[in-house]
Amino acid sequence: MTWVTWRQHRLEAFWALLFVSLLAGCIGYVALQLAIASSHCGPTVGFGYCLSGDPFGQLARSILRFNLFTYGLVVLPALAGAFIGAPLVAREIENGTQHLAWTQGVTRMRWLLVKLFLILVPLLAAAALVGYLEVVLLNVQGPQINRWDVFDQQAPVVPAATLFALALGVAFGAVIGRSVPAMAATLVTFVIVRVGIAELVRSHYLPPLLNTTQDLSAVGSQADPTAWWLGFPDYYDSTGHLLGNLLGPGAGQPSYVTQYFQPGDRFWAFETIEAAILTGLALLILGVAVYWVTRRTT
Amino acid sequence: MIAPIEATGLGKRFGRTWALRDCSVRVPAGKIAGLVGPNGAGKTTFLHLAAGLLRPSNGEISVFGRSPQAQLLLLLDRVGFVAQDTPLYSGFSVADMLRFGEKLNRRWDQAAAEARLRTLDIPFDRRISHLSGGQRSQVALALALGKHPELLLLDEPVARLDPLARREFMQRLAEAVAEEGSTVLLSSHVMADLERVCDYLIIIAAGQVQVAGDIDALLASHHLLVGPRLDNDGRLNGTVVIKAQHTERQSSLWIRGRVPGLGPGWREEPLPLEEVVITYLSAPQAGTLPRPELEEGAS
Repeated sequence: MTWVTWRQHRLEAFWALLFVSLLAGCIGYVALQLAIASSHCGPTVGFGYCLSGDPFGQLARSILRFNLFTYGLVVLPALAGAFIGAPLVAREIENGTQHLAWTQGVTRMRWLLVKLFLILVPLLAAAALVGYLEVVLLNVQGPQINRWDVFDQQAPVVPAATLFALALGVAFGAVIGRSVPAMAATLVTFVIVRVGIAELVRSHYLPPLLNTTQDLSAVGSQADPTAWWLGFPDYYDSTGHLLGNLLGPGAGQPSYVTQYFQPGDRFWAFETIEAAILTGLALLILGVAVYWVTRRTT
Repeated sequence: MIAPIEATGLGKRFGRTWALRDCSVRVPAGKIAGLVGPNGAGKTTFLHLAAGLLRPSNGEISVFGRSPQAQLLLLLDRVGFVAQDTPLYSGFSVADMLRFGEKLNRRWDQAAAEARLRTLDIPFDRRISHLSGGQRSQVALALALGKHPELLLLDEPVARLDPLARREFMQRLAEAVAEEGSTVLLSSHVMADLERVCDYLIIIAAGQVQVAGDIDALLASHHLLVGPRLDNDGRLNGTVVIKAQHTERQSSLWIRGRVPGLGPGWREEPLPLEEVVITYLSAPQAGTLPRPELEEGAS
């Protein structure tokens, strides 16, 4: 099975290796250039303003400007799910080759589990690597970058999202039995679930804290740049009457302001919780895929 | 002796349609059996049930006395299967395809598989997608024969081939099977393909087995009688009439079993195998008529 898996998927392996090395190379390179720059320009390194003017620094600056990792780390898991996960079973069914594969000396269950293992392990390792490199990059940039803004691009969540996308792809491929619709279904579901989690679920992993201050200029990230500030600040007058979310002419005389937030020291707990949710969903979906393949009426 | 394939009351339903219904049939060991029927008759369903690719909705099927669903692992080494349109990985080379067989089968005879393809002058480094249809099906056959199967199932292996390639394929198949002594079940909707190599025939139509038996016995037990027009709707005492045709002056009766004493003006005409098959296929209800003795002699 090992050789068969390699022979069937070596092209995907090539593309995955290419994209991952490109991404890892870029992140590593920018991290290195920023680390060099930080020795002489201190805290402003985060936005790359003081990268050196030589060609090396220029290159790092343009990579940083295109936000290559910010997008790459979100998009690549989805692409892996659509282009590697979805055709895994679907392409066999499309070409009728499942009748060939499933009538050799190996049961369908073994056929699928070995393939999944051999494909998932290197991809998850690669995803973990680039997720980790992003953490290194953020560490170099220091406190200027709010970690919560790049929540989806960091270590535990990136491999978990990759696993989730691949599981979706394999399951849709097995159930639908055609590559292109399975790819579409994978992409759509992946986006809906990830956006849904980010927008509706994530802030509830732990009960948020309420920040109350009379210093009206210290609102949101002005008060604590490491925290995730939820919603909008609520301004109150001295009688405790809510004035609204914005200050302006005629809004009354504010006396204090409150806003809910998740403190910065919860960041890794949140990453772990989200990674656990995505992994759990992925395992559930993989279970469905295995069941479907073993039961499928070819 | 345990039959290579034995089905009892076997049925398979997809949604509301029955692809196969109440099918009881036994493929005897060492035969090359032809499974013949029109498109959509249930041939593929039957073969997939035997290969463990499908689960029966009703009844039972056993292969060498074991269930191809519950005990598939015990059968995978012993059963070779060539699916419809001889699917192969089009990006693989011929050598890759053989390696695929070697890696996925505990029982595998690489030398024999290579020798088989070498005699056919099929280049090992050529991609499957660049092979001719005939070469492709020969590779599929070599792959199935590579594990020296005791039972070989082939689903319309020559359907897409030109007459010359058909002949060649059938010939190679017959030779290989003669060497190995394995049992073969081969489906087709073209009688001529089957007549050349098969010694046993299972006729299937509308999801039901019409007749199963040795081809010699089938020929010996079916007769065409032609005589003066009968008025009684074509009934002959004590004879199973599977089909009757009347013109103004003449009646033709296709009968199964012994030829009755013929009245004046009646004669027996030769009934070729294809005619027997077509008779059953065009009158599916004929299969439900009382069975002739040929079943005993056949099994």
